[in-house]
Amino acid sequence: MKKIFCAIVLLTLAPAAVVPAKADDFNSVVKMIEQFYRVKHQGIPFLAKTGMKVATTAARIKGGEAKRIAEAGSIKLAVFEDQAFDGDFMKFRSSLNDALNETWIPLIQTLSAKNQEQTYIFLRSAAEKFNVLVITIADRDATVVQVTISPKNLAALMRDPEGTGKAITEEATIIDQE
Amino acid sequence: MKSLFQIKMVLLLIVATGFVARAQDSRIQMGSLDHLAAKASQTVDVNIDGRLMAIAAKALSDHDADEKQVKKLVAGIKGIYVKSFEFDSDGQYSAADIESIRTQLRAPGWSRLVNVTSKKEGVIEVYLLLNGEQIGGLAVLSTDDKELTVVNIVGPVDLEKLAKLEGQLGIPELGIEAKPKTKNDEQ
Repeated sequence: MKKIFCAIVLLTLAPAAVVPAKADDFNSVVKMIEQFYRVKHQGIPFLAKTGMKVATTAARIKGGEAKRIAEAGSIKLAVFEDQAFDGDFMKFRSSLNDALNETWIPLIQTLSAKNQEQTYIFLRSAAEKFNVLVITIADRDATVVQVTISPKNLAALMRDPEGTGKAITEEATIIDQE
Repeated sequence: MKSLFQIKMVLLLIVATGFVARAQDSRIQMGSLDHLAAKASQTVDVNIDGRLMAIAAKALSDHDADEKQVKKLVAGIKGIYVKSFEFDSDGQYSAADIESIRTQLRAPGWSRLVNVTSKKEGVIEVYLLLNGEQIGGLAVLSTDDKELTVVNIVGPVDLEKLAKLEGQLGIPELGIEAKPKTKNDEQ
């Protein structure tokens, strides 16, 4: 009886407890995609470059002064190219949300049954800044991007989660083109 | 004797959990619509809960104009939940799907605003949850032949604030506007 009582107390209090943020969720998501869809990502170790270089490159490619969203050196990127993403996307969404729900706040999730396209944007606090995780899965390609953003860019993300999420992925993949 | 005390404590916890659940009454459950995602050409699902609002209140500055604007916009809001489905053809959702939402909006406290119209095509229904004189939440049900959207905002949101929130925080452009009052409305 005592054990049951303790279990109920713990279950009741569990949602209110502070869950420490996991540092390796990015890798977990990449592995989850690999396992679920039986695909392999391409590692891009040279992405962690200085912010100045990133800004210059982005500005050059966009043909002007590009607005940076990610904090310098904070971009984590995994790219899946030209592979088949066949699978029940509803099931994947459910698994993803279950895995991230405790430490990340889901912002917006879009699904297109016709094109089998999925976009997920999650957010969490990181000291005085914020981590944003953007997962985009299309028919043949996918990207997982994690960046750190400032409170000012949090405001932009809150106002337009979908647009800012796209801009984060573009920013990360533009660096890749260098 | 000891086990009787423990049983009482367990019952107390169950009752307390019930009270916590009742405090969330303005949250509409939309899970019954999830099956539509498989038929929809486009599905948008927004789940911004109180955690983000708490972060925004703490992290956004009053000194930066952009941050201040967003902070003001979300002040008092406890959650924003949106489910929106676009279909390629008519008849992809049923009356039962809509009814699963309307049933919740018939609960005590919810009332439909009649003086609301939309620039968009289709039918738009706006409901407010009143806790006494305070607005506890708002729900919008927008239906068209090829579209179904449910917006649920938990917290003190009136039509004026809803208009400001449209197109932001994942809330779609609903084109909602208050109808001018007629003599009949005033009577």
